[in-house]
Amino acid sequence: MISAQHIPVSALLAQSECIIRSLGSNDKTSQRLAQMGILPGTHLLIIRVAPLGGTIEVNDGQGQSFALRQQEVAAMACEPVAMPLVSELVVKGETYMIRDLCGGKTFQQRMAVVGLQKGGLIQIREAGVKPIQIHLVDTDRQVSLGKGEAKKIIVEVINHESNS
Amino acid sequence: MNPTAEPVTIALASIPNSGKTTLFNCLTGSSQSTGNWPGVSVEKKSGIFPLGEYIVTLIDLPGAYALSPVTEEEQVVRDYILNSPPDIILNVLDAGNLQRGLGLTLQMAASALPMVVAVNMMDETRRRGITLDLKALAQHLGVPVIEISAKTGEGLPDLKEALYEVIKHPEKTRIPHISCPPLLEKAFFQITEAIGKSSIDTRLDHTFLAMRMLEAENQNQWTSNEKVAALTKKWQRHLKQSLHTSFPVVCAGCRFNAARGLAMEVLGEQPIIEDKLSRRLDHIFLHRFFGLPIFIMLMFLLFQGVYGLGAPLQEVLSVAFDRAGSWLSSQIMVLSLSAGLQSFLLDGIWQGIAVVTSFLPIIALFFFFMSLIEDSGYMARVAFLMDRLMHRLGLDGKAFISILLGYGCNVPAVMGTRILTSNYSRILTMLLIPFTLCTARLQIFVFLTAIFFTSTIAPWIILSLYGCSFVAVILTGFVLKLFRIGGAPEPFIMEIPPYRFPTLRSVGLRSWYEMKDFLFRAAPLIMAGVLLVWLLSHMPTNVPPASAATWAGQLGQILAPVFQPLGIGWQETVALIFGFIAKEIVVGSLAVIYGGTDLAGLMGSHITQMQSISFMIFCLLYTPCVATIAAIWSESRSLRITLISLVSGLTIAWLTSFIFYQSGLLFGFH
Ligand SMILES: Nc1nc2c(ncn2[C@@H]2O[C@H](COP(=O)(O)OP(=O)(O)OP(=O)(O)O)[C@@H](O)[C@H]2O)c(=O)[nH]1
Ligand SMILES: [Mg+2]
Repeated sequence: MISAQHIPVSALLAQSECIIRSLGSNDKTSQRLAQMGILPGTHLLIIRVAPLGGTIEVNDGQGQSFALRQQEVAAMACEPVAMPLVSELVVKGETYMIRDLCGGKTFQQRMAVVGLQKGGLIQIREAGVKPIQIHLVDTDRQVSLGKGEAKKIIVEVINHESNS
Repeated sequence: MNPTAEPVTIALASIPNSGKTTLFNCLTGSSQSTGNWPGVSVEKKSGIFPLGEYIVTLIDLPGAYALSPVTEEEQVVRDYILNSPPDIILNVLDAGNLQRGLGLTLQMAASALPMVVAVNMMDETRRRGITLDLKALAQHLGVPVIEISAKTGEGLPDLKEALYEVIKHPEKTRIPHISCPPLLEKAFFQITEAIGKSSIDTRLDHTFLAMRMLEAENQNQWTSNEKVAALTKKWQRHLKQSLHTSFPVVCAGCRFNAARGLAMEVLGEQPIIEDKLSRRLDHIFLHRFFGLPIFIMLMFLLFQGVYGLGAPLQEVLSVAFDRAGSWLSSQIMVLSLSAGLQSFLLDGIWQGIAVVTSFLPIIALFFFFMSLIEDSGYMARVAFLMDRLMHRLGLDGKAFISILLGYGCNVPAVMGTRILTSNYSRILTMLLIPFTLCTARLQIFVFLTAIFFTSTIAPWIILSLYGCSFVAVILTGFVLKLFRIGGAPEPFIMEIPPYRFPTLRSVGLRSWYEMKDFLFRAAPLIMAGVLLVWLLSHMPTNVPPASAATWAGQLGQILAPVFQPLGIGWQETVALIFGFIAKEIVVGSLAVIYGGTDLAGLMGSHITQMQSISFMIFCLLYTPCVATIAAIWSESRSLRITLISLVSGLTIAWLTSFIFYQSGLLFGFH
């Protein structure tokens, strides 16, 4: 079970998704967010990080996306839902489901060859090794991926409470 | 029209960027600024239109997400609704951003003022293939809901008809039921009761008033009733202790629970689809690697567009004014006047008109291109791209464009600070722009470096002056941030609107409007400045203009001890006084003061290289011109800010020149 935490700025990568649990302690910021309908329970999907960093574009599934600073998100308590495989939020030994493979045709083909597909379950059993070792839960196999490839793999936390 | 009919006030209220001003312009035929990013309108504007036998005053309020203010614009809206409740609220909803908009709709409905809801941007919704069940919305809210497109004008007759009906038979809006935690309900109940017993006379619902009071620091502006104020204070303390989150946040939570349900009902099964075109364009414009180069290229085009097209136009105007001036001076009518009066007319008034006119082409072009950037939605992207850089100074990304454009001309750049979202950014940016190296200053530098330096060194000197200007902007930014001039920065949380096609009408109207604004607000001040300098340089009348014996010359000599440590002689000091009108005339005035034909030779023998650089540094950093000061004054509407700008410019210029010149002397240069 993964609980709410302050997500560090370095883990606020594109394609990450989290659920807000509390808006943080800055009154002005939290009031502004609340007035825009961004409240505890809202899913935030990070669309992109600005080229210079620091600022992110976020979608809350209510209409238009909006921009805010990473610090502001880091000050909230959030529950991670999905993240790229390279994120520091990926916990060793935890099982994740592949949500998306964000890459071109060659990448998709290569992933299909090694047996990674949307909906597949994977685990990382050793942290900090290169190339990254991924355990395929369904077939009980091990594949190794480069960092560039792992970046494009978006995984989702399973046993998530709001997961149906 | 029946002139005896009662005047009716309708207020436009909605969250930012939902098309209020567009609708306002449509209904009243005015030309207020619109723009495709949140926070274009920052103050309320009013206009009039006839509706049947009524004459309607329409108020365009700034965008607000809620009535519990975070930003100044929201404060304007809240104060307006509480202090002078309109007869009808016309709430505008962006059909593509329903849920956020409904939060405010529900809060407005709680005021019980008669309300009409206009669901705007129906053209976009149709294009995206979304259908809305607006009947359900009307049923839930109990008010007329009309679909419109303010841009194309569709649905406006229906809207007018609905408004007419409501004016004829005004009906209190039914208070929407929003469930709140019991503790809050109790607080509302008690304060409402106290309000009911007090003698407060208002058309607003008492519970609505109670909520607003609970949010406010100071209740006295709405009630002089001690009991109500004391009770509110008591509850505020109690709520602060018992609630985990702040009171407005809890209320927003309750409101959006209801709004979400409502939005779901209106949208039915349809998922909220983002604008596909915007997503594709953002893929390019906000690209990790290409985003910034594209931005730089667009800025280059913008710069070229404004100044590349504007400079020749200015040239043409200036030649025309010179010709007309010399024609005037040969007219019998003018010749028959005394010499002093002639000079007043030609060098004073005529010169003033010429200065004012010279700004018109760039202001028109500047706002033409700015509206293109704004209306298309790219401005919001710029804010996103440059936010990191400007955040260090406590500014947001949009300030970058303002400051950058100062490198062309300070006047439109200062006027353009209107696009910034918070007062804090506006003031700070306004104070930084005068340190940019505008093209008029560049003329002085090109002229002087050509006299004092070889052609290989001169460009480097100019480049260093650009560097000096960057450093001055950044350092001053840090210092001003420390002193908190302009209040506290606001959090940067900005909606990113879809890309939209700018209409020629709105872009053209904007330039026209800004030019008019410049003529009415800044031009008189510019004239006053020009006349003042004319007076200084032409009094007393019996000496040659601008010579040592004139007031300006005397002033230059009085100030000589102040400028002597900078290596600036009295002649240059007088030129600096002239530079206050416009930097373009500094070189010309030097020629008059030195009184010779070979200015380059005369100056070269009078002044050393070090002294010339010190003079240029001073020119770079002190007050750019009377027009900039006039613009700062009319934009900030604050004498304090205008004075701060003047004083900080002079001080920084003096200090920098002093340090430069004295350390140069120490190292043995001269
Ligand atoms: N497609 C479409 N665009 C519209 C419509 N109405 C307004 N717009 C555009 O929406 C943008 C925002 O319009 P504004 O009128 O400035 O919005 P506002 O509510 O006054 O915004 P603030 O002053 O920031 O609160 C502009 O780019 C308009 O051109 C419409 O009916 N359809
Ligand atoms: Mg507006």
